[in-house]
Amino acid sequence: MTTLTRQDLNFGQVVADILCEFLEVAIHLILYVREVYPSGIFQKRKKYNVPVQMSCHPELNRYIQDTLHCVKPLIEKNDVEKVVVVIMDKDHHPVERFVFEISQPPLLSIRFVSMILNFYSDTLLSHVEQLLRAVILKISVCDAVLDNNPPGCTFTVLVHTREAATRNMEKIQVIKDFPWIVADEQEVHMREPRLIPLKTMTSDIVKMQLYVEERAQKAS
Amino acid sequence: MAAKVSKLEEQFKLDAPREKQKEGTSSTIFRGVAIYVNGLTDPSADELRRLMMLHGGQFHVYYSRSKTTHIIATNLPHSKVKELRGEKVVRPDWITDSIKAGHLLSYLQYQLYAKQKHWLVMFISKVRYLNVSFVLDCNSCHRNGLDQTAGLRLNGIQEEESEDETLHPAPVFSSGALVERTLTNGHSHPPNGALKPLDLTRGQTPMENGPHQPPVLLAGDKCAGESAHLLRSGNHLSVTPVPTARPSSRDPEHPGLLARGAGRVWLNGAQRDTAQGAASPPCPPVDRRPADADIISEFYSRSRLHHISTWKSEFSEYVSSLQHRRHKAGGVDFPGRERLRRQRAARIAGSSAPSGPPIRQPCILHVDMDCFFVSVGIRHRPDLNGKPVAVTSNRGQGRVSQRQGANCQLEMQYYQRKLDPKRKEVTPSPESPDGANPQSEQDLAALSMAEVASCSYEARQAGVRNGMFFGQAKQLCPGLQAVPYDFQAYKEVAMAMYQTLASYTHHIEALSCDEALVDATRLLKELGVSPEELAGAIRADVKERTGCSASVGMGSNILLARMATRKAKPDGQYYLKSEEVDDFIRDQAVGSLPGVGRTMSCKLASLGVQTCGDLQQISMSRLQKEFGPRTGQTLFRFCRGLDDRPVRSEKERKSVSAGMNYGIRFTQVAEAESFLTKLSQEVQRRLQAAGLKGRRITLKLMMRKPGAPVEPAKYGGHGICDTFARTVSLDQPTDSAQHIATEVIKLFHAMKLNVMDMRGVGLQVQQLTPSLVGPAGTAGGTGAPRRSIRDMLAPGEAVTSDRDRDIASVRLFPPPSSAEPVPGTSKGGPAPRHNGGLHTPRHLRTHLDLSIEVPSPSQVDRSVLEALPPELREQVEHSWRRREELAVSRGPLQSAPSQPLASPPGTLVLHVPEQQGQGGPAGIVLALPDFSQVDPEVFAALPLELQEELRSAYRHRNGTHPQGTVVEAKNPLLQLKQVAAAGRTKRRYKRKNASPAKGVPSPLKSRLHGNSPAKSSPAKSSPAKRLPYALKQEHAGGEMKLENGPSTSSLKPDAQEKPVKLTSRPGPTLAGACEFTDIRTLLKEWVTSIPEPMEDDILQVVKYCTELVEDRDLEKLYLVIKYMKRLMQQSVESVWSMAFDFILDNVQVVVQQTYGSTLKIT
Repeated sequence: MTTLTRQDLNFGQVVADILCEFLEVAIHLILYVREVYPSGIFQKRKKYNVPVQMSCHPELNRYIQDTLHCVKPLIEKNDVEKVVVVIMDKDHHPVERFVFEISQPPLLSIRFVSMILNFYSDTLLSHVEQLLRAVILKISVCDAVLDNNPPGCTFTVLVHTREAATRNMEKIQVIKDFPWIVADEQEVHMREPRLIPLKTMTSDIVKMQLYVEERAQKAS
Repeated sequence: MAAKVSKLEEQFKLDAPREKQKEGTSSTIFRGVAIYVNGLTDPSADELRRLMMLHGGQFHVYYSRSKTTHIIATNLPHSKVKELRGEKVVRPDWITDSIKAGHLLSYLQYQLYAKQKHWLVMFISKVRYLNVSFVLDCNSCHRNGLDQTAGLRLNGIQEEESEDETLHPAPVFSSGALVERTLTNGHSHPPNGALKPLDLTRGQTPMENGPHQPPVLLAGDKCAGESAHLLRSGNHLSVTPVPTARPSSRDPEHPGLLARGAGRVWLNGAQRDTAQGAASPPCPPVDRRPADADIISEFYSRSRLHHISTWKSEFSEYVSSLQHRRHKAGGVDFPGRERLRRQRAARIAGSSAPSGPPIRQPCILHVDMDCFFVSVGIRHRPDLNGKPVAVTSNRGQGRVSQRQGANCQLEMQYYQRKLDPKRKEVTPSPESPDGANPQSEQDLAALSMAEVASCSYEARQAGVRNGMFFGQAKQLCPGLQAVPYDFQAYKEVAMAMYQTLASYTHHIEALSCDEALVDATRLLKELGVSPEELAGAIRADVKERTGCSASVGMGSNILLARMATRKAKPDGQYYLKSEEVDDFIRDQAVGSLPGVGRTMSCKLASLGVQTCGDLQQISMSRLQKEFGPRTGQTLFRFCRGLDDRPVRSEKERKSVSAGMNYGIRFTQVAEAESFLTKLSQEVQRRLQAAGLKGRRITLKLMMRKPGAPVEPAKYGGHGICDTFARTVSLDQPTDSAQHIATEVIKLFHAMKLNVMDMRGVGLQVQQLTPSLVGPAGTAGGTGAPRRSIRDMLAPGEAVTSDRDRDIASVRLFPPPSSAEPVPGTSKGGPAPRHNGGLHTPRHLRTHLDLSIEVPSPSQVDRSVLEALPPELREQVEHSWRRREELAVSRGPLQSAPSQPLASPPGTLVLHVPEQQGQGGPAGIVLALPDFSQVDPEVFAALPLELQEELRSAYRHRNGTHPQGTVVEAKNPLLQLKQVAAAGRTKRRYKRKNASPAKGVPSPLKSRLHGNSPAKSSPAKSSPAKRLPYALKQEHAGGEMKLENGPSTSSLKPDAQEKPVKLTSRPGPTLAGACEFTDIRTLLKEWVTSIPEPMEDDILQVVKYCTELVEDRDLEKLYLVIKYMKRLMQQSVESVWSMAFDFILDNVQVVVQQTYGSTLKIT
């Protein structure tokens, strides 16, 4: 049974790795698609066998990486409820929110999955990849269902944790000088949000759903 | 080790005098204190050791849980803190400060982690009297139920007594009493310094408090306990023993007291008020020992609150039974509704103008009888009409004489103080700061403590309130007439009210015996009347049938309806229109919001909030910070008049409990134990009556708060108490009294409380699951009312604490043992919330048919089968036969599917492995559960061969379905059911469809007929036939899930059966369809084939959508909604468009609730 526990750890990390990798791709793509940054700073890359856009602005990349680096331990612990990419207008009022709602199967089944991972890990992973690819594709076409954003938008990443997670946050602060702060009400609250579901993926190791919340009147 | 410890002690003792000599000063401050120093302290451990030597304490080098009284530390790691929970961990300053002060200070202020919640530091009162100083340690109440030694609890009162007694030999104690006393004192540990010996040379002032009689003790009376009271008289603090004895009834001085031979349970100083007793003969003799066999049932038969709460569940049941009946009959006549329709028709014919526009928005009616108890009580007594009337058990003048030992003022003060938010620390302090006139308090104390259950509006004008003590009420309103309880009449009237409501609609939620919520949205739409008209009709009806008046409040949600009722009362009605809501609610006091009680109003008042308008100014985050996330949100919404609770006619039961906090007085542990056993039996009765078993048992004890008077002001009441609760989780759900009792007694002992201070006991069983065997089987023997299986299936009873994921019991399915005769039955119970018409079968036979999940013949022990009653056996065999037939008929279909449709997820075709020609292990494992469903521990515990077999089976499955494993594993439980279910579904639905409601069968239902082997159902033409068989099978299973008819609990989405929940990926289904394409087909059929949607079907769709939201599958929801929008809005019939609007509205509400925003539908 000792091996089990070790695998447990690995398993949480595997999920976190997969998700963070995906989130990085997704965030870049969102920034591109929603035109938060000029398209000039983006490069075309291939990920999950589909073309994606990735920024080549070092500071932006750094920021995204740092953020995800801090998210990772939380995902490992299954403390993350949602990761939200918020696009805000000039007055820092959110106009769009891309919400990645993550739910991992409860510990028990994870343990068992990890035990039998050897049986079919390849199948599993390729299946997850398929699902993630679908989500990425959805993001790249989401501008069709969304209204245009006002000029001069910025973005930020919010993490909604499950209850107790914040308490331990300080302790496990991964990167110095890059702490989590509690989000302003202003950043979280959106006037008349409208919800547009983009994609739901369900696999044995993680269930994720992506939806966009959009402010009804974007211009104001 | 022990030798070493004793050697060290020896050494310490030897060193002590030497040290004292050296220092020159010494004291005995720390007598009885033994410290253990943990970690680095200032002063150092050595210094502390020296100090302890000097001042009479003990110093332990090794920590001993039993001997060490205090742990001294300045810093402890978290793990240690946890480990030392319940120990007294004190900062070293305590010692130095105590020495400085010259006496032992309370350690409370010096607790190392006093701030932690479970260390509820209460209050320390320091009293100095002449040269006497003692510290009354009033703490010792850990709400968390931390271990607490009895000694601490006794907090020195007994210590005083013993001192007193020796110096104060006035009362002659019998030898028996002395023995008793020693026993009591035996409980108390060395006083741990909280109490310094009293200087008893001061004058003993006997208490002058009410009709205080000189202590009389009869020799030979064994139960002479004594108690000391700290009573305030003027500014003096004096301590005196107030011995309370139980003389025989022949004693002329105590005519009211009952004889109690060797009685050990008694009410301290309980003196029955003779006047009151004579006036109300039916009043139960409360001095009955709680241990008496029937006291519990007696208690419940007299308890008003108990009656009220049982009625509520009875009426809830009544309402849901109405609904089942309606589903069964297809259409029920609503006499009230018809009448209203006719009236309206007549009126329209007369005036030819529609009155008022039809209401599209939801409308909830809150029907509440006006001062129910009173109006029922004076129904036949017109003479009392218009007079101030109160319903209460007291019929005298509202006065009783002060009982000995009771201290009313103290309790009053305590409660007042508790309500005063400014004072943080709450404790019954013997010393009151204000010097109120004792005489007036005396009067108060002498008033009757019987509660006013209800009072008429006339009485309310005089300031009388429900729940007030009768004596006090009488003072406020001298003309107050008392009316006795009449439970039978209440029930009749309440029933009549419910019947009246049911004659209009069945969308009723029973709130209590005299109030109900009615969802009249659809009713109003159908009749085209305004809410006011409906309310008027209902009120007139109620008045006519019951002779009592009812008030009706109307609003667009429950909250508003209830608030409107307040305005409507008495005997009126008020419709809160949505445009008036804002203005209306702004002026409402926060206290009028549901869930805002005294405590919360106080808290809100401290935030400067008086009205809902004030409350609206406070941000959600602030509220959540103050009151917790849930309550905060609720408040935030409520004060804006938002409320999305639906009117629910069926509510799940979350717990079953029994408790008693009246007349509980024990003297011995054995009595408490036997009482707990009795209470367990009561719980068993209730569990069995509900057909439930529970896994989590909570024992709640009310203990007299230290320092509170031994005898509370209310006769037999519990007085000021601390509540302690302990919980234990069992491996197996149980409903056996014995089992519960054992666990509870264990808990009880673990709490280490003093039985004499027990004032209330409650047992609660949670995490309920339907019991394995029908309650009829087990209940009979214990005298519980026999119930049919239908009751077990009745919704609201079968309960599961949902969303509780931390239970790790995973069962391999099928269960490896065949020890259980019919393993499937165990899963038959869970009752469906939306059960269509399935629940109303006519006789038991049919019920069984629905609920039994028959395992395959090979799994059943023949001998067990033979032992079954013949009819049961026949049924089991019958189902096997049917299954065989099915298997045969299915063969060819499966091998040649008519369309090359990919098998949908969840259709594992493993269920009849022989026919698939896949040999190997699958032959044994009928249906493999999802990997993740299997508990590794269970797996490990299996015999090796079995493990191997399972493993290879999984591998095999992987091999067979390399692509779809993940998806396919989704629905592992369906196959077994399908086999058993296929035959049944048909019958059920035939009945349903045979109902005369609508001629055209709706595809949502007719769909189901596709799978019946005999195609005799009217759904012959259903397009579902075109689907491959496997798919239909899936539908059968899925439908069962949706309808939850005979389903195993495992298929219920929020079933308790954890294993399935964990992996309950068989997502929501609509009439069995899970895949989007199927749903689409289904919806298309529905919209195109019938001209007018049926209510039930719409609800099905709404439910499906809701489930999608809950399942966090917004994408599919979005697609479904958009598809419906296209379909329905294209439809020529405008009804469809309306139906869509209805569905969308409902879905938006759910989405709003879950995500805080609404779907963007373009």
